[in-house]
Amino acid sequence: MSPAFRAQDKLALLLALVPYLLDNEQVSVADAAAQFGVPPQRIRDAVSLIGVSGIPGETKQYQHGDLFDIDWDQFLDNDVIVLTHQVAIDEAPRFSAREAAALIAGLQYLAALPEHGNRPAIATLMAKLTRGASATPSQLAVREADAAADVSVEQLAIVRAAVTDGTQIEFDYLNARGVRERRLVDPLRVESVDQDWYLRGWCHMRNAVRTFRLDRVSDVSALPTPTSRHAADIELPSSLFDVSDNDLYVELELPADALPLLSEYITPGAPKTRDGERVRVSIRVPHYHGLKRLVSGLPGLVTVLAPADARRVVAEWAAAGAARYSDDEGGA
Amino acid sequence: MDASPVSVEERLFSLVLALLASEHGLSKGEILSTVQGYRQRYSLGGNNSSLERQFERDKDDIRELGIPLETIDAPDRPGDSQTARYRIPKALYELPADIDFSSEEITLLGLAAAVWREGSLSEDSRRAITKLRSLGIETNDTVIGYAPRLRVREAAFTPLTQALDRHQRVRFPYLKPGQKEPLLRTVEPSALVVHEGRWHLHGFDQRARAPRTFLLSRIVGPVEVLSATFDPPEPGQAERSLAELERVWQRNIATLAIRAGSDAELRLGKRAGVGRTASGEYTLHFTDLEIVADELAAFGPELLVRGPEPLRSAVRQRLLRVAALHQSEEGRA
Repeated sequence: MSPAFRAQDKLALLLALVPYLLDNEQVSVADAAAQFGVPPQRIRDAVSLIGVSGIPGETKQYQHGDLFDIDWDQFLDNDVIVLTHQVAIDEAPRFSAREAAALIAGLQYLAALPEHGNRPAIATLMAKLTRGASATPSQLAVREADAAADVSVEQLAIVRAAVTDGTQIEFDYLNARGVRERRLVDPLRVESVDQDWYLRGWCHMRNAVRTFRLDRVSDVSALPTPTSRHAADIELPSSLFDVSDNDLYVELELPADALPLLSEYITPGAPKTRDGERVRVSIRVPHYHGLKRLVSGLPGLVTVLAPADARRVVAEWAAAGAARYSDDEGGA
Repeated sequence: MDASPVSVEERLFSLVLALLASEHGLSKGEILSTVQGYRQRYSLGGNNSSLERQFERDKDDIRELGIPLETIDAPDRPGDSQTARYRIPKALYELPADIDFSSEEITLLGLAAAVWREGSLSEDSRRAITKLRSLGIETNDTVIGYAPRLRVREAAFTPLTQALDRHQRVRFPYLKPGQKEPLLRTVEPSALVVHEGRWHLHGFDQRARAPRTFLLSRIVGPVEVLSATFDPPEPGQAERSLAELERVWQRNIATLAIRAGSDAELRLGKRAGVGRTASGEYTLHFTDLEIVADELAAFGPELLVRGPEPLRSAVRQRLLRVAALHQSEEGRA
């Protein structure tokens, strides 16, 4: 799904396109579209508009010499852009305070990763963005250690290299049920979400696309075997949760205010029943192992109402945790 | 004259061109009567108030793109929008000529932009990349199959960045970790920072009359942006906030006994700053006791908090509460 392309985005494209066309005497619509990462029609629309735009000029009448001009024959017949007259604009525009801040914060996140670990180069780049902005960049910052906080960087490097080279990898995987298995995988994509890293790939044991949390992966070995499946052939679902028909439904109760804390688990449009300040909602989970951790991690806020099995699993988990403290005191 | 109405982007583009080309600026009257997109709707000697309002909105849209659209008051009529002149100084509009980017830098910036997948940060990055692309520098595509990203799930983010840029106060219901009821807080926002994977708002809390840090995930209702503005703090507040969180993080250390081979060992063992004591226990840095207590409670019997005592007791109480809430077999329905 492509995000909405609004009038402001169109304006940004127009202002960026002019200096690009000035630098390139002759460029095809296709090349310009590739350069800006937009569909060719968007370039054609922008060029058609630039070709008739300009400044009011001395006469305030937008006379011929006050307007941009393009080689219309080349444009209409050959899909080629040649700017023949320019007005008002020569260079690329500066970044806004927020644009510069967004890129700087993105760089701070990347800075922790081994392959971008060249701190001086990143610092230089941030300084360029700051100087290239029309106002002081907005006050946004990402702690640099954050990206790599929960992952072994050596392991990440092996997996990434395998994705780039298109070769298979093998590793031990501890699933959420606590079972450890050796997996043979065609790695397709390495993704992070905040501090968590995921490998998405074709699992030869399950014969399906699977999402693996890298912090549950150990003993990775890179194999020389080329992958049998390629990223281009497989549509990776955008959700990191592998939804299955075997999912279990669990009914929860929580304060209405706390609903955003569970937003990842609640299917959009799931029925919610309000009872004063409290809300009941049903979520789907692959098994109760994840649920007991989820509920214990939001202690007192979230209560499981049903099924009874789910309540029992959560109660036992929390009671076993609490018991370690009384044992510790008794035995010490 | 023109049969078809002028599109929004044509009007905005024409306004930018006209203001860039004019050395001494244009008055509002000149703009409305001569610039493409306004002149078609301008009524000579008539009422142009709706067109004037359009111009006000267009100025905001243009400034939001980082275009330095200046207002110059007439010397004898300060603050009078009818006599003020408007212009875009070219030197402030153009990317300075001595800034250039290598192909590797453009590739890295593309990856940095892709860190944001949703919300206003993603839109801002996308526009920044459009501007960068105009430099015509080729990039290499070695980053396929690699997608580091930071989520901004919190609905509070967009209104907060807006208030941050415009130095406006905000009001929101905040559910402090460890408490059950949210409280309405009024804050002068000064920075948004990510620490330990969590978005924090730093700002001056009106009630406490002191700087405070808030977790965005704990803002549990709509953020109201108030019209009152305040004097912005010195630049560098984001770095100072991060440094402050980092100092707290360094100072707070939990000691944990973790079961070998457990999920807790796997997940916490790899975390930055985690250490082992001589007796095999783990040491873990944390920022906020209530938050880390929630996080550690999730691991149930897989770990035991040895200290500090307040954390140990907080985790134990949480587990007892969860166990009690799920005691009966029939459910509480």
